[in-house]
Amino acid sequence: MLGVKTLQDLVKDDGATVSRRAFVDSDVYEAELEHIFARCWLYLGHESQVKEPGDYFTAYMGEDPVIVARNNEGEIVVLLNSCRHRGMRVCRSDEGNSKFFRCPYHGWSYDNHGKLVGVPRFSTGYHKELDRNKWGLIKVAQVTNYKGMIWATWDPDAPSFEEYLGGMKVYLDLMIDRMPEGLEVVGGVHKWTIEANWKLAADNFVGDMYHVPITHGSAHAIGIRKAWGDLGYQINPGNGHGFGGEFGGLAEGTEAATPYTPFLKQMRKRLSQEKGDYVNKIVPIGHLTIFPNFSALDTLRFRTFRVWNPRGPQCMEIHAWCMIDKSLPEELKSAVRQQYIFTFGPSGVFEQEDGENWSQCTASSRGWIGRQHDFNYGMGAGHETSVAESLEADLPGQMGGIWSEINQRGFYQRWQQLLSTRSWDEILTADGAER
Amino acid sequence: MNSIDTKTGLTQEIEQFFYYEARMLDERQFEEWLQLFSDDIRYWMPVVSTRERGGREIAGDNELAFFDDNKTTLTLRVKRLYTDFAFAEEPPSRTSRFISNVQVESSGSSPEEVLSHCKFLVYRTRLETDMDVFFGTRKDTLHRVNGSWQIVRRKIILAQNVLGAKNLSIFF
Repeated sequence: MLGVKTLQDLVKDDGATVSRRAFVDSDVYEAELEHIFARCWLYLGHESQVKEPGDYFTAYMGEDPVIVARNNEGEIVVLLNSCRHRGMRVCRSDEGNSKFFRCPYHGWSYDNHGKLVGVPRFSTGYHKELDRNKWGLIKVAQVTNYKGMIWATWDPDAPSFEEYLGGMKVYLDLMIDRMPEGLEVVGGVHKWTIEANWKLAADNFVGDMYHVPITHGSAHAIGIRKAWGDLGYQINPGNGHGFGGEFGGLAEGTEAATPYTPFLKQMRKRLSQEKGDYVNKIVPIGHLTIFPNFSALDTLRFRTFRVWNPRGPQCMEIHAWCMIDKSLPEELKSAVRQQYIFTFGPSGVFEQEDGENWSQCTASSRGWIGRQHDFNYGMGAGHETSVAESLEADLPGQMGGIWSEINQRGFYQRWQQLLSTRSWDEILTADGAER
Repeated sequence: MNSIDTKTGLTQEIEQFFYYEARMLDERQFEEWLQLFSDDIRYWMPVVSTRERGGREIAGDNELAFFDDNKTTLTLRVKRLYTDFAFAEEPPSRTSRFISNVQVESSGSSPEEVLSHCKFLVYRTRLETDMDVFFGTRKDTLHRVNGSWQIVRRKIILAQNVLGAKNLSIFF
């Protein structure tokens, strides 16, 4: 449990000042495992990764390994991937199809509801005295399938997922619910490691357009995007979530053009006739983070989802997917896939640089002196407007200009609230003004 | 095993070609390296995952990959390295590439086309102490055009699931 003074020092000035300790300190990290990752809704994967009964994939919630399975009844279950006897992983493959998970240590077997169904030597060893009903795989407290996205939380007191999203719901829907039949995942996951604190990635995707013209300047230099202007938005809908981008989508250059772009623009035109002119400004919605560690990028060329899995205070393991609309013709699906691989993922001409930045930001905060000097997240403070006024639509949240760090401030304020171990009721009520 | 060349000197020729290619990359001669690829190249590194025995570990054609480039995107990747903004390679990585276990066979479609299998091992160090080791299998289709070899298809199978590296800013 972090002391009150430490907590107060971690985030100050309504999120404009964040201590470097947040990014390197083991005590802070341990507090996060308990009060962030064990309390919040976390993204696991997409329903298209578990289509048939028996299908499963493995994932993480914080540092806890889980199995996400579609059981024989067709429901999606999320189970701690750890035998109740001595903790061995009962499932060691990334994905597959199996009705049972058998531990290779002492042979305890579980079905895909998590029920303990097989215990060797139950009579001769246990004298039938083991109550198998009490020793099933640990289940998450709540699971939800939100329009194909599988989210779960360990916290039975966490609000419903929709309440947790709050104002972010309407914007998330603009990314995932804009075509009939919904999304599917391109098969496979990009997994790679950066020696940096997970929050550097989460806060980058929540509100950092500022870094794009510099860190990703090579994209302009080779013509795959236009020069950056000052017209755009950062929207903070509350609850620590946020997204932002350029009006009309991150501006494409002429090189490596794809037929998906004109297709998306047609689709957007139809959507704007249905929902309102604001769609032309904020669809695709740009970069986003749903607190704490799910991020996405919605562009004129592709969509990617990613989870920044914490691996200690100075390391993260990234899992990233490419998402496509099920109803796209095959050649457009292929174009989207290729664009994603070319620009993002560990070899991506955009994404390569981020690892350099974040790992060295973390390393430079290990020293005693470095740690005494806080990070500055103050850009644009005091210059917020309401989204409803600025976009002339019935939409929630506060808005800053394209470079504003408004969303990072919201992210760290929610982070501090959770570390302060306030109840969910207190946290959600305190945020009332933003929702 | 019957079709693997052991007699004609072809294998040694392909080995030398691969050593030249590796040297161009280690010496950062990226434009020279690009010349070794045909205009219709598919440069492909599918993702690899852990599956139960019998499961499909290597991603398929329409699935995720670390690279799935044509000549246009490969050219843009090289062009990027010559801009002032490729910070992932500025300062540049130090690489040492080793190609081994080269086995060559005729593709069956023409005497000017061969298939090769080899193993690659790439050490990369960056900055102060960053070190990555990449290794795996490479399958190439090569055409001889006017006496010189060109790479028409490359499939790189990296023997890793979760990459220990912070990026793949180099070529394989």
